[in-house]
Amino acid sequence: MRRWIPAGLLIAVLALLPPLLPERHLATFVLLALAATVTVGVSLLMGYAGQVSLGQASFYAIGAYAAGLLAVHGVPPLLGLLAAPVIAAVAATLLGAPLLRLRGHHLAFATLAVQLILLSLLAQADWAGGAIGLQGIPRLSIGGFELRADLGYAYAAGSVLLIAVLIARNVIESRAGRGMRAAATSETAAAASGVAIGGYRLAVFALSAAFAGLAGGVYAFYLGYLAPGSFPVLLSIEFVVMAVVGGLGTIAGPLVGAGVIVLLVQLLNTLGTQPGMPGYAPAVLSYAVYAVILVVCVLYLPKGLVPAARSAAGKLRRGSA
Amino acid sequence: MSDLIGYLVTGLGIGAGFALVASGLVAIYRVTRVVNFAQGAFAVLAAMLTASLLGAGVPHGLAELGGVTLGALTGLLVGAVAVGRPGTSPGTSLIVTLGLGVLAYAVEIVIWGDQPRSYPGVPGVAELAGARLQAHYLLIIAVTVPVFALMAWFFTRTDPGRALSACASNRYAAQVVGIDVRRMGLLAFTLGGALGGLAGVLTTPVQQVTFDSDVALIVNGFAAAVLGGLTRPVVALAGGLLLGVAQTLAAGYGGGAYQVEVALVLMLTVMIVQAARTGPVAETAR
Repeated sequence: MRRWIPAGLLIAVLALLPPLLPERHLATFVLLALAATVTVGVSLLMGYAGQVSLGQASFYAIGAYAAGLLAVHGVPPLLGLLAAPVIAAVAATLLGAPLLRLRGHHLAFATLAVQLILLSLLAQADWAGGAIGLQGIPRLSIGGFELRADLGYAYAAGSVLLIAVLIARNVIESRAGRGMRAAATSETAAAASGVAIGGYRLAVFALSAAFAGLAGGVYAFYLGYLAPGSFPVLLSIEFVVMAVVGGLGTIAGPLVGAGVIVLLVQLLNTLGTQPGMPGYAPAVLSYAVYAVILVVCVLYLPKGLVPAARSAAGKLRRGSA
Repeated sequence: MSDLIGYLVTGLGIGAGFALVASGLVAIYRVTRVVNFAQGAFAVLAAMLTASLLGAGVPHGLAELGGVTLGALTGLLVGAVAVGRPGTSPGTSLIVTLGLGVLAYAVEIVIWGDQPRSYPGVPGVAELAGARLQAHYLLIIAVTVPVFALMAWFFTRTDPGRALSACASNRYAAQVVGIDVRRMGLLAFTLGGALGGLAGVLTTPVQQVTFDSDVALIVNGFAAAVLGGLTRPVVALAGGLLLGVAQTLAAGYGGGAYQVEVALVLMLTVMIVQAARTGPVAETAR
């Protein structure tokens, strides 16, 4: 029974919070939920499969462009949204087959290279709007009911996040999940115990890409406009920051990491756009926040916020008992 | 024919820039096993300072020296944060340098703004076997070659250089004979910073620099360095030159498009082939 409490809590927050938020904060909620969805995948990839991806935004972009292009060409938006994670996962499988031979910093640079290639190709692809971007994406409609207000997208993004969290949890608790955890610590030992490492690594890579693609699909319908510039390398780094700060290898970690960072950046953004602040203040503050949080967290809280909080709570409980 | 020579020399000039970034990466990686993601930031910071100094009336030469010095100091600072704490694993240090690279964005925007910067280099056009090209490319090549020769001399003939090489080949043994491995790591970062700064200072007159040009620099530098397994400076030089020539040829004959892809696909291919040769599992590399 206890294991359902966090899930219930998450559902309650995602269902009850959006109507209470003022209109201007709904946009933050949508972006937070989408970022958290991608981060769940990154955390799974880094924490359980031991792979660093500096190109996760490319799958976000692939999902967004897939959904957007399909919708622009007359495919029902819902179908486009469903196709987004599939296309992202297929792309990840095709790319992952050669790339996942690489480890550590090689893989990090390889995924970064893939994203740079994708951005460069998108900027030259006239059929995808080129550098100007893809315009006129219709709004998301489900069964003839068109989502216009931000509230609808808040629920769409919340549902996407919930799906990602539930799938991630089930994967972690499965036989495959245990095998992957073993492989993250020692590949040789896991392989010797009969874990099919190559297949699992590729599967996690594809799954994390599917999460990113799904979130990208919602993003496309929410904004109605896509450009290569919407998916900079920095976005990929942001996802890594969120995953690392929250705590790799936990389900709550990506949610906490994305929440803390998005809210902090939003707060500083409000601060930076106050009258009297120089025009560059919002950008500078957000870069500084990403950088300082990442460095401090990696050096002093290497396991991330959620595991650190848990062990602190455990110590308190033992201390009082 | 004269087109080809023009492209070749221009490519060598651009490639020399990549090679300098790559050599900085190699200098740091050999000693500390850390891939320094902030390597591109050294170049950007050095170039920005040089532009400011030149704008303030400081003569050429002195301004560039100031830029390189800033690169070296930044390198020392990044090293202190990334490897200064005992027990920091190389993977952790990579993420730290990634964070410091982003922090450099904030600093650069506050001081220099987010607009591209450049300054005049060697003026005029040179003629080489009928090919016309910007004379500045020749300067880049003319500086890079002696720098690599100097590095070879430093690593094999001087005491600190030999200590660095000792750390690179066997950290434990180096410690046993009394070399302070941590201090050598900081020295390597300082050297890497100076080399990165030199790359930025040299290439800015032909390629504008913005606060986020570090991504292109670091990826191209890594691509050049990875050819030599991140440990051999001379292969990194060859790799950088090859990359630069491949890019200019692709740009020249391919009509400007797809030059980014050429370098990146080349890098991916090299890494995948290397991984296939050495086998995918390298647990000691963690």
